[in-house]
Amino acid sequence: MTLEKDPLNLIITGVGGQGNVLASQIVATAGIKDGFYVTVGETYGASQRGGGVLSHVRFSLQTQCGPLTPEGQADIVIGMEPMEALRVIADFGNPETRVIVSPRPIYPIWVLSGQATYPPIEDVLGGLRELTGEVRVIEPSVDGGTPLPTNVLMVGALAGSGMLPISLSSFEEALKEIIAPKSLELNLEAFKKGLEATAT
Amino acid sequence: MAEEAISDMKQLLSGNEAIALGAYHAGVVVAAAYPGTPSTEILQSIARMDGVYAEWSTNEKVALEVAMGAAYGGVRAMATMKHVGLNVAADPFFAVSTTGTIGGLVVVSCDDPGEHSSQGEQDNRHLAKFAKVPMLEPTDSQEAYDLMEWAFTISEEFDTPVLLRATTRISHCKTVVEANKERKAELKQAAFTRCPTKYVMVPSNARPRRQAMEERIVKLRSYVEDFPMNEIITGDRKLGVISSGVAYQYAREVFKDASHLKLVTTYPIPVNLVRRFAQEVERVIVIEELDPYLEEEVRGLGIEVTGKDFIPIIGELNLEIVEQGAIKAGLLSEKPKPPLKSEVAPPQLPPRRPQLCAGCPHVAAEYVLRKLGFHAPDAKERQLKKDELVVTSDIGCYTLGVYPPLAALDTCACMGASIGQALGLEKAGVPNRTVAVIGDSTFMHSGITGLVDVVYNQGNTTVIILDNGTTAMTGHQGHPGTGISATGTKTQAVVLEKLAEGIGVKDVNVVDAFDMDALESTIKRCVANDEPSVIIVRGPCPLYVKPSGTPFEVDPDECAGCFDCLDLGCPAISVADDIARIDASVCVGTACGICAQICPHEAISEIKQ
Repeated sequence: MTLEKDPLNLIITGVGGQGNVLASQIVATAGIKDGFYVTVGETYGASQRGGGVLSHVRFSLQTQCGPLTPEGQADIVIGMEPMEALRVIADFGNPETRVIVSPRPIYPIWVLSGQATYPPIEDVLGGLRELTGEVRVIEPSVDGGTPLPTNVLMVGALAGSGMLPISLSSFEEALKEIIAPKSLELNLEAFKKGLEATAT
Repeated sequence: MAEEAISDMKQLLSGNEAIALGAYHAGVVVAAAYPGTPSTEILQSIARMDGVYAEWSTNEKVALEVAMGAAYGGVRAMATMKHVGLNVAADPFFAVSTTGTIGGLVVVSCDDPGEHSSQGEQDNRHLAKFAKVPMLEPTDSQEAYDLMEWAFTISEEFDTPVLLRATTRISHCKTVVEANKERKAELKQAAFTRCPTKYVMVPSNARPRRQAMEERIVKLRSYVEDFPMNEIITGDRKLGVISSGVAYQYAREVFKDASHLKLVTTYPIPVNLVRRFAQEVERVIVIEELDPYLEEEVRGLGIEVTGKDFIPIIGELNLEIVEQGAIKAGLLSEKPKPPLKSEVAPPQLPPRRPQLCAGCPHVAAEYVLRKLGFHAPDAKERQLKKDELVVTSDIGCYTLGVYPPLAALDTCACMGASIGQALGLEKAGVPNRTVAVIGDSTFMHSGITGLVDVVYNQGNTTVIILDNGTTAMTGHQGHPGTGISATGTKTQAVVLEKLAEGIGVKDVNVVDAFDMDALESTIKRCVANDEPSVIIVRGPCPLYVKPSGTPFEVDPDECAGCFDCLDLGCPAISVADDIARIDASVCVGTACGICAQICPHEAISEIKQ
């Protein structure tokens, strides 16, 4: 087991209510199963009511890291909301950062009320491409009529991308441990859809 | 097989979950708390564990008094709260420091440097020293877990409460914990031993206890010298870094080669250990969040030390701040930022702040208050016109109503303050009428005594209790008005309107939170009356009950593009092609309906199937 860079810093970002904390819990648990030291730093609080949220997940083979990724040192960014992904890249990204992003915007209140403009989605994705090394866009998915949970879909996309040296079986074990039985089937479906979207 | 058992004990836990598990394994019998970020998850975790009595208390003072009583009964007990909660509980905190305990008593304070979710920033390490209570600070989840057994043991051995102090990055950061214990099989039986000289603090008993407190600290000073979790990590002797809590993690990452002294017992500090460390190194610095607490302790020993001249006193630390401070102090050479940020500037992005939800029962009342009481369209500093209202407010989701477009609040200071502030403004002779806005949980926490004061002192204040049936901001905990206990069982509900009537308020009203006309007429009438009044605005939190209403839509032929509906700040309503648009996936529709009530063109109605 190796890490291309130690520590390897992953940031998961989205909007309050999208399930950031659950996503980081799954990825971190999978990492521990594969023998990494993992530290998760969450930023939440009042942000639960529709504000931006960040989870830092740091992997190391040598030591327990501190809870926050240093500026400019995110290796992978998962964006469940495109503008939040760009905001994170502005602070934590570098030209080699790899990004997995949902192109589906969630509008903040000032945009809804017409006092601010959400930049065109192509500009947001373009900005991400300009500022980082690789951007993979993952469209939200539905299973019949039910929308699949974006957080687990994106975790699946991360697992499929091979960006993290974590085995598929560890991801799946972590999912089964963490997700409540009644919603496991839907989440496994989301994970699979994400996986298929990036696995080549 | 054995290997599997060992790996099973390794868990990824937040600091708060680790505190809960550590307390459980240490045999805690009673745990009490009032929810407050970043402390809430401790009691939430304990409430799921068998064999522990867990309660959401009315407020932090009551929580600590409940835990104090349990510890007087000989069992292990704890009270958990956020930093400002310990202000509320300061009275029993000092009192139990005086009496001491029999069973172990641990108070957990989770501080919020940087005010992620607080009305103020404060360093509660001072309160340990102030109240002469020993303090422990974990640097990660493993230590948080391990320290709970130590905390209870110290409490029992030294006849004292113990303060365990965490901060947001300890409480909400997850690291691997090896839970190497199980809950003790045989717990002490609860029993009260009569001892008035210890428990009845009349002056003649309190004076000898005061003596005992000082003797206790002397013993603790020598005890902490050998505390196994304080640790010297010898590295390059040119620099010695003293730190505690999360600051230790940053210090280790920034000063990789230096010598470190990690302090876990931060009151009292191990004086001889600090002296020995200082002698081993050429230069001593302290890296700590908030106040120069350790720095002053170390300097008090006659040791030359720096810290706050290059580490900020305000806000949270992170790696860059510590690194920049180190460069400023000449401790690190300036290095080009490693993975160079791109030359391209990211586009300007609109900010995203928290907001009231679609279907929130607070919105209509705040909208009406704004309409009746605020003349200018913005919330800039200015003198009020005579017929405007002063709206004092409190702490909860509804405080978000200070932001435009609602912008309907004038104050927010501390829990329960809205009612006393309103009375004070009135008694000072401010000519405007006052309205106090307070949530149901906050009213129970510390609004009741304010209302008693208004009645007793014949104020005219109108108190609006926004009753959404839960403690919403911290994640939907029960409170006395809900009739649901911390473990989810049904219990006796305290009924707000009966409580207000019992206090002596004659004008008590209960209004549907989504009925604009009733809200407007009731507020108008109550404000004009020369007697105290209470308006309970009742409607469920949509995040809690997940209402199933038929969503609304805008009729494009009727919408005149006046955008009055945008003044609600509802996340379901936006502008599209110069008319209003409602997002049916966000709108709770018939379960709310306030936009349809204010639309002057009757352009909003249920989606027709």
